[in-house]
Amino acid sequence: MESFLQIAWPVPFGELALKIDPLSLVFLCPVIILLICAGAYGVGYMRPYWGKRPLGAHVGFYLLFALALLLIVTANNVILFLGAWETMTITTFFLIIFSDEKEAVRKAGFLYLIASHCATFCLLIMFFLMAHFAGSMDFTVMSKVGFPLELAGIIFLLALAGFGVKAGFLPLHVWLPYAHPAAPAHISALLSGVAIKMGIYGLCRVLWIVGILPAWCGYMLIIIGVICGVMGVLYALGQHELKKLLAYHSIENIGIITLGLGVGLLGRSYDQPFLAVLGFGGGLLHVINHSLFKGLLFLAAGSVISKTHSGDIDQLGGLAKTMPVTSVLFLVGALSICGLPLFNGFISEFIIFFGLFQGVLALPLLGVIFSVLGIIALALMGALAIACFTKVYGAVFSGQPRSIDSGLEYSKTVDETTSIWMLAPMIILAWLCAWIGLAPKMMSGITFLGGACLARVDLFLIDMSRIYIPLSTTIGIAFLFSGLILGLLVMRRFILGAEPQPVREAWGCGFTRVSVRAQYTASSFARSIIDLVKNILQARQYGAKAGGYFPLRARLASSVRDVSEDMMFRPLLAGLTRLSRKIDARRVLYTQMYLMYIFLFLIFLLVWKLR
Amino acid sequence: MILMILFHWFFVGLTAPFLIGVIARVKALVSGKVGPSLFQPYFDLIKLFSKQCVYSHGVTWVFRISPAVTLAAMLIVCLLVPFGSLKAPVQFSGDILLIVAVLSLSRFFMIAAALDTGFSLEGLGASREAFFACLSEVALFMCLIALTLLARRMSLSGMLGADSPLSWNLLGPALLMVVASLFIVMLAENCRIPVDDPDTHLELTMIHEVMLLEHSGVDLAYMYYAAIIKFFIFGAILVPIILPVQTIFPFINTLIFAGGMIGLAALVGLVESSMARIRLNRVRNLLLIAFALAFFGLIVTLWRGAL
Repeated sequence: MESFLQIAWPVPFGELALKIDPLSLVFLCPVIILLICAGAYGVGYMRPYWGKRPLGAHVGFYLLFALALLLIVTANNVILFLGAWETMTITTFFLIIFSDEKEAVRKAGFLYLIASHCATFCLLIMFFLMAHFAGSMDFTVMSKVGFPLELAGIIFLLALAGFGVKAGFLPLHVWLPYAHPAAPAHISALLSGVAIKMGIYGLCRVLWIVGILPAWCGYMLIIIGVICGVMGVLYALGQHELKKLLAYHSIENIGIITLGLGVGLLGRSYDQPFLAVLGFGGGLLHVINHSLFKGLLFLAAGSVISKTHSGDIDQLGGLAKTMPVTSVLFLVGALSICGLPLFNGFISEFIIFFGLFQGVLALPLLGVIFSVLGIIALALMGALAIACFTKVYGAVFSGQPRSIDSGLEYSKTVDETTSIWMLAPMIILAWLCAWIGLAPKMMSGITFLGGACLARVDLFLIDMSRIYIPLSTTIGIAFLFSGLILGLLVMRRFILGAEPQPVREAWGCGFTRVSVRAQYTASSFARSIIDLVKNILQARQYGAKAGGYFPLRARLASSVRDVSEDMMFRPLLAGLTRLSRKIDARRVLYTQMYLMYIFLFLIFLLVWKLR
Repeated sequence: MILMILFHWFFVGLTAPFLIGVIARVKALVSGKVGPSLFQPYFDLIKLFSKQCVYSHGVTWVFRISPAVTLAAMLIVCLLVPFGSLKAPVQFSGDILLIVAVLSLSRFFMIAAALDTGFSLEGLGASREAFFACLSEVALFMCLIALTLLARRMSLSGMLGADSPLSWNLLGPALLMVVASLFIVMLAENCRIPVDDPDTHLELTMIHEVMLLEHSGVDLAYMYYAAIIKFFIFGAILVPIILPVQTIFPFINTLIFAGGMIGLAALVGLVESSMARIRLNRVRNLLLIAFALAFFGLIVTLWRGAL
């Protein structure tokens, strides 16, 4: 299937074109769903700002942003793509800095803007190389050209650098954990659900255009996926701020997606079409799934923050009683993101796992080693994600509020009067998560179509029943599972009788009436895992333990530093600043010198061209 | 199909508690006592099923639903595991992934329920469970990869020799390491000594038991039953690998399987009698050893394949 829709219109010096092929379709689904849901949520979320803030500008940028997203996904031309890309970058900047009276927000916005523009620089070079070699700006024409392997490798690396910044590949992700918490909730949901996926879309489009890549590209993608995934979830475990934690989880999920793409690329390089379709298809399905459940989680987090005015996990608690609907919706998102059965995250992780195991059986030795690495990393990510989301759910929604001063006050005032504008989008997203989890046929069909498009094979020539039969059996088991849970609950009811069971003081080994501060906090929950990897994470603890027979006040704080920010970018940028100061100091202060430089340069050009 | 499923559940439900009785009896015998009846776990379960549930203040539906989820998860996993000549009712390529995922789901709800009470003791247990699960799951996956490569199949029934058993003559060293690794994972996942002590209730160093502190009555029976079945499942995965003997008589096969399971339970009892629970901060070393063993097993397998 080449394309579903093609529109072209002539402009001076060329022609712009829109096209929807299976790959665009896969990315169009989450874009449209999330734009509608986040927009509706925004109506409710922004209500307190009515009349106090220029909301018109916000809405305008939102619509422009939506248009840019749709254009990026459907553009079939370099110029159109880059134009839409830049529009998206700039509108996102304005959407992020909505609360621009806070300095942290302004800083996060500028960090995003600078990072994005450094990335666009790489993209310009990449597209120039491609267009120069192919002799056309049109994606379809480009894809028919066979690029030489060396050029393909360079294009691949430039795409990784350029699109990697937007997607949040590990050392390039520094803007991401700042921008997500700074933006309003519905914008964070869009950033995490859709905007960073545009990086993945760009990478996929390049993989589609450049049909033959050297084998190391697949290995590189797997390594990037493994690093992003494991480090992302470890950083998330160490965070205390709800939205920042979710932002780091986006990096983890980008890692899972990249892992899938890497498997697909290996399959393509080693001429294993089934493996290629599994890897690409699984990765693309995870793109859709991640935007659904991460959107849901960000919106639910936004509801929590707008009610309690605190995103600090260690201060919250007990919200399941005051915000029951939101807590259920958050739990659905948490179960999905952990890749647990009955929900959508499981389906895409199952397909990627299946592909990796297929790789263990079908690839040559080097491929086997990388597949094993991928499986182990994915397993570790799954277990760590469970630790992380039980931590979040337990700390935010279970128990009692942990802070004495602010907490008890909000526990009385918070109620579930969230407006329907805010609840409905979350319910839709949660329903979609369960729908893909229990009836994945349609969505996996679309993503396998996209995967076949990337793998450059005809889907009808592959025996897809090898994945469809396990998938459908899994779904059958999932239905049996939910039936069994229901059955066991009914059985308990049958044994116990209809009258409600007694509710008493918790036993807790005899400790009753302890202070709410003595509850297990999120940091203590995560501490044993953080301790194991504290050298990698640069985990620090401040303050002292209580000591002596009559301990006085004690204070303990812990934090996890971002290594790539502290050890790579800060020194690098500091070095650049120093270098430019030095050049600045050597600057010659009279004009004749500059004239001479220009003259010498002209002579150099002349000699170079005459040679 | 439905009959097969029901019979599978019936078989597990009836025989699994017996293994726990065997472990307790072996431990008692080694320490010179007579010990409780071999059927004590059955009596415990019957007692618990006839009791009321008591809930603590402030727990939500997550706490109330978690016992059902945990037991349902174990029953689902049962369906994918063959028991001797009793074939697994459901088997498909990639069912190992479903097994791990369903186990993870039950773990999620157990941890969430423990945190739901808001008590620091339960939080402690939950935190440890989450931590050790990370390590044991990775080791488990390493074993599964090695088994996939050895058997060239992706379904558990295939790996456990539904059509051709793994041969110790051919695969000896690799298989030995995988078995050792799986044994450690089994001890850790089922919260046996040396990782956790299933007998004491009040010690602050525990993992699994402390998460059940607030469960009572039928809920506790569900959790207890789930733990028993989990032990049976891990045993049923280990025994066919250790004893890959298949005759043409289903009856003898079942006898071999039953003997193997009882022998394994006795072995666990011996391990529990002969060593103490190791310090908590060294548990991770034990689990990393399991990982390393499986890793070396995998390397040996790959090396054989490369020859």
